[in-house]
Amino acid sequence: MIQLLRYCWPLFALSSVYSQSRTVDFLGEVKPILEKNCVGCHNTKLRMSGLSLASREHAVSGGRRGAALGSALTEGQLLKAVRHDSNLKMPPGRKLADAEIGVLERWVGAGAPWPENAVESVGARPNHWSFLAPQRPATPRVKRQGWAQGPVDAFLLARLEKEKLQPSPAAAPATLVRRLYLDLLGLPPTPSQTAKFLADARPRAWEHLVDELLASPHFGERWGRRWLDYARYADSDGGSRDEPRLIWRYRDWVIQALNRDMPFDRFVVDQLAGDLVESPTADQLIATGFHRNSPLQIEAGTDREQYRTEMVFDRVDTTGTVFLGLSTGCAKCHDHKFDPISQREYYQMFAIFNSTDDYSEQRPRFNLRVMNLHDVHGPYLNFAPPDAVALREDLTRRLLALDDETEVLRSVKTAESKQQIAKIEADMAALRKKVPVIDGTMITREITPPRESYLLKGADYLSRGEAVSPGTPSVLHPYGSPKPPNRLDFAQWLVAPANPLLARVTVNRIWQEYFGRGIVETENDFGTQGSPPTHPELLDWLATEFIQTGWSQKAIHRAIVTSAAYRQSSDIPSELAERDPLNLLLARQSRLRLDAEVIRDVALAASGKLSPKLGGPSVFPPQPGSVKRTWQPSPGEDRYRRGLYTFFWRVTPNPHLVVFDSPSAMTTCTRRQRSNTPLQALTLMNEGTFHELAQALADRIVTEASPTMEKQLQHGFRLVLGRDPSSAESVRFRSFLAAERDALLSKPEEAEALAPQLIRNGRSAVAVAVWVAVARVLLNTDEFMTRE
Amino acid sequence: MMDIQDLDELWRTRRHFFQDCKVGLGRIALASLLGGSAGAKPVQRPMAPKKPHFPGKAKSIIYLFMAGGPSQLDLFDYKPKLKEFDGQTPPESFMKGKRFAFMERIASARMSASRYTFKRYGQAGMWASELMPEIGSSADDIAMILSMRTENFNHAPAKVFAHTGTIVPGRPSLGSWITYGIGSESEQLPGFVALQSGPRPPRNGPLIWGSGFLPSAFQGVPFLSGSEPVFNLKSQPGVTPERQDRSLQMLRELNEWRFAATGDDEIATRIASYETAFRMQTAAPELMDVSSESKETLALYGAEPGKNSFANNCLLARRLVERGVRCVQVYHTDWDHHSNLKQGIEKVTREVDRPSAALVKDLKRLGLLDQTIVVWGGEFGRTPLSDGVPGAQIGRNHHIDAYATWLAGGGVVGGQTVGQTDDIGFHAVENPVPVHDLHATLLHLLGLEHTKLTYRFQGRNFRLTDVAGKVVTALIGK
Repeated sequence: MIQLLRYCWPLFALSSVYSQSRTVDFLGEVKPILEKNCVGCHNTKLRMSGLSLASREHAVSGGRRGAALGSALTEGQLLKAVRHDSNLKMPPGRKLADAEIGVLERWVGAGAPWPENAVESVGARPNHWSFLAPQRPATPRVKRQGWAQGPVDAFLLARLEKEKLQPSPAAAPATLVRRLYLDLLGLPPTPSQTAKFLADARPRAWEHLVDELLASPHFGERWGRRWLDYARYADSDGGSRDEPRLIWRYRDWVIQALNRDMPFDRFVVDQLAGDLVESPTADQLIATGFHRNSPLQIEAGTDREQYRTEMVFDRVDTTGTVFLGLSTGCAKCHDHKFDPISQREYYQMFAIFNSTDDYSEQRPRFNLRVMNLHDVHGPYLNFAPPDAVALREDLTRRLLALDDETEVLRSVKTAESKQQIAKIEADMAALRKKVPVIDGTMITREITPPRESYLLKGADYLSRGEAVSPGTPSVLHPYGSPKPPNRLDFAQWLVAPANPLLARVTVNRIWQEYFGRGIVETENDFGTQGSPPTHPELLDWLATEFIQTGWSQKAIHRAIVTSAAYRQSSDIPSELAERDPLNLLLARQSRLRLDAEVIRDVALAASGKLSPKLGGPSVFPPQPGSVKRTWQPSPGEDRYRRGLYTFFWRVTPNPHLVVFDSPSAMTTCTRRQRSNTPLQALTLMNEGTFHELAQALADRIVTEASPTMEKQLQHGFRLVLGRDPSSAESVRFRSFLAAERDALLSKPEEAEALAPQLIRNGRSAVAVAVWVAVARVLLNTDEFMTRE
Repeated sequence: MMDIQDLDELWRTRRHFFQDCKVGLGRIALASLLGGSAGAKPVQRPMAPKKPHFPGKAKSIIYLFMAGGPSQLDLFDYKPKLKEFDGQTPPESFMKGKRFAFMERIASARMSASRYTFKRYGQAGMWASELMPEIGSSADDIAMILSMRTENFNHAPAKVFAHTGTIVPGRPSLGSWITYGIGSESEQLPGFVALQSGPRPPRNGPLIWGSGFLPSAFQGVPFLSGSEPVFNLKSQPGVTPERQDRSLQMLRELNEWRFAATGDDEIATRIASYETAFRMQTAAPELMDVSSESKETLALYGAEPGKNSFANNCLLARRLVERGVRCVQVYHTDWDHHSNLKQGIEKVTREVDRPSAALVKDLKRLGLLDQTIVVWGGEFGRTPLSDGVPGAQIGRNHHIDAYATWLAGGGVVGGQTVGQTDDIGFHAVENPVPVHDLHATLLHLLGLEHTKLTYRFQGRNFRLTDVAGKVVTALIGK
């Protein structure tokens, strides 16, 4: 695998020019090679191994391994290192192109001329691949004709052909339909939807299905949930109190924006700075909920400034990870030799996010007797009449004042004071009843004047260093205005087409969902410590395509799912398992375990219980009674809503979500884990909800399928797995059903328990109970919880 | 029961099936071995035991976590000199630049000596007050640290710090790091279990046994009291053990076929997960039922079958490590004595002293103490100053600059006291042990080098000890 990873950035398409050239042009030829490959580490600041290549003088004086450049006779370490002549092999992990080595050889051979005025310009700016703007690559030529459906396939196939590998055949049509439904909607196809596609004889049947699903409102739910992972969205504060908060409208805004295919640049700007645009719409304000999703700690005795600072850290780190694919965490405390962002630059970004209106020392304190949570959670966009809002504010003020009075009285401790306290508390209780519950959503608001920002030593909010003003990291495209950036300027800088990272990072994450791994595997680290792209040209083709289509996410989805690569079988033949166990080259598809929410959704859909309702306040489906934070289950259809609408307590989330790796929402999550544990098995086998759905599925199988066992089994398979049973499976199920029937006939009480009256509809308990047993098995198969 | 004809038919279909499978029989054989015959290790079980960095002395750890912050000055840190200053205003030199919780009450704080008598125990003469006679009697097995230090004076962040090495909630806890590092021996119980007693659950509960960015397989599983300690352990009505067994057999075959067809090892892991889950359905209730313990053992702990108490949880902790569970956190809440210290601490020490000592004694009796670390301590200690709302009996405020924690077993050198505080117990003046050092030491005892136990997340290698931590050599001996 190593040789696969050791790719070279394909720059020197014009290498012949170099070999023909007689004189050496330092600025035009040599300097770019040094900048791109060497001075990221060997500069005046870092001096890795003691060596700087910032000037001829430095190169000659050399580092710990000797001079990089010598006289023409002793040519120094530089050439040895780039040729990999000895055990010193540079750059680390890869080799320069022959043409590049040729340039250096000729240059050294000519006495390594190094113009005086070039000294300053060979700086410490790392020229890492991801910091250079993507260039639209030409679609490569491939030998095999007829397979590639478009540029995506051409890039992949060219690489496979180089490695002498064949792509896998397409998956079975039924598998493909289920794959596409699960990937685009997070829901399984109904048997009739599958049948419809299988019967579609049009030449572009697949493309028609893709367009149909991209237009479905459930698309926004499936992909919105992913964005909510990035946004660390949750319905409560986190921290020891973990109070509930109102911010579900932000969740709905994300779903709607994705359904409308809002241009991604606007999508980003509205979330980061929708409040700062001229006359923001309600939607733009709701979008700023993005950064109000930081966890919040409210506890008596704590220093609010400490936790406000933590929130700003969270926002800077989330911004860096989500939009730039860069880890900023290290720079919080110190400059790091590998990090593209310096500590000072970190705090310049900190300054951009440091002046929002949050729970701070300036706000009234949170008080349990007053329950003034809106003081903690505000600012809100209120969806209530202004007089109701005014009433709430007024009453809260009065309650806080009364509470202060009782505090004073408490320190006196006389019979009289106790009486007074009792009276005030009665007044407070009466007042509290009048406080209107107000519908609203948390939004971002800037305070004026802005807070002063400082470099915080060791990320300690009390250890202030030098003052810093807002700014953008110098490693990226220039901000280019004398005015210090505010959040809006920063957001616009972020979405500028010159930004080398935003488009790449975004398309890479979309890709990752379809193949289980990004083209850059370290989806949150495009910096020098991240892994290089397996298909750099494909990544850049997608990134430039993203920008050229006006930042249309749906265009990228379409380009990927209409490819032949996407439609390959996910089976792993032995040869591929050996040659490419991690599936880096994508000579096949991958089997991917479904998300926590989607596992619930598939069970709901299969059993016919799913409520298709979109959006609205989060809901409370039944959960094990032993959960620490108990809740009253929602009535009616809210009991059967999709998993992404389940109320998410950060500290005590619904256990079934946790065991299937839903993110904690404590920090941004740009890639979910896919664990495989006994607790998952216990959940699917024994949790009340899944059992109820197995019963509903049995009811459905018996009711909807004609009364032969074959038809019923087929219906069950189609509902849960989207395919027909094989003959071997049918035979085995027949014996399973027989064994269950025998057992239940001898123990009618078990049949009664398995198939309660509610799902029997006049049939015998045994007739339904055997299918409950079958349904339980189907809803526990690996295939049920996997996108194949 | 399946008759012969059925079996025959089943075989035929399986043979038939294998003819068109892509992967070959070698993989099927592998799948059939999973969790089945003795000696065969399930592939890729996330909790499977892993080789430590070097051979550790300890195999498991039980952390008796005293949530709320015990007053070391009334338990283990004997300060006769404090009596001379009792009731006086604290010297300004101690208070200057210090930050406390509930700062508004600091002006009224006075020096406050312990009301309890102390006694020396064991060959090394470890101090313990009259509230802790049982723990005192185990002194020869105990290494008492009087010089613990932490970084935040509020319960929630200090607890998060004590478990994850940072105050920011959402990072992996000690037990998650340990099981991530060396897995667990138990194939039928979770590798990392949290037990709770006291009037309320510990603050930030799930965050302090959470796995943070580590895979969720490594998060602590909170056991509830009663026969169903884990969510969804009980089968639903009508699902008898026989039916569950038949269903799982059916399920296993379907999964094996799918495995044969796809060649995806995740399916093999899935099969193993279901087998473990099924075993857990029997093993966990059996574990929770302490009535099989002898009368002497129950009396040693003060445990009563069916009760949720610290005593029962200490006994359960022993039963868990006996069954190969790697890490057990036992929480007892009720140590936050801002006012009315007397009533509070006397009650809680009655609940805690005997079972804590019993655990050490019982493990020793069973020959398990050498391979089991027992840790006893809270998120911080308490001030030598009085605290409390006016009019109430006095208590003590939170204190982070010096507090006590003790270790026993698992290779810890017992019969010693590590670190000393000044005359009034305000500062650690000898061998201060910051929380990161304690963590580094605990990992070391388990064979893990704290600087090498890392996980890459958001472009950075994280570790339990952040950028600090050194092993306390006095605790581990040679």
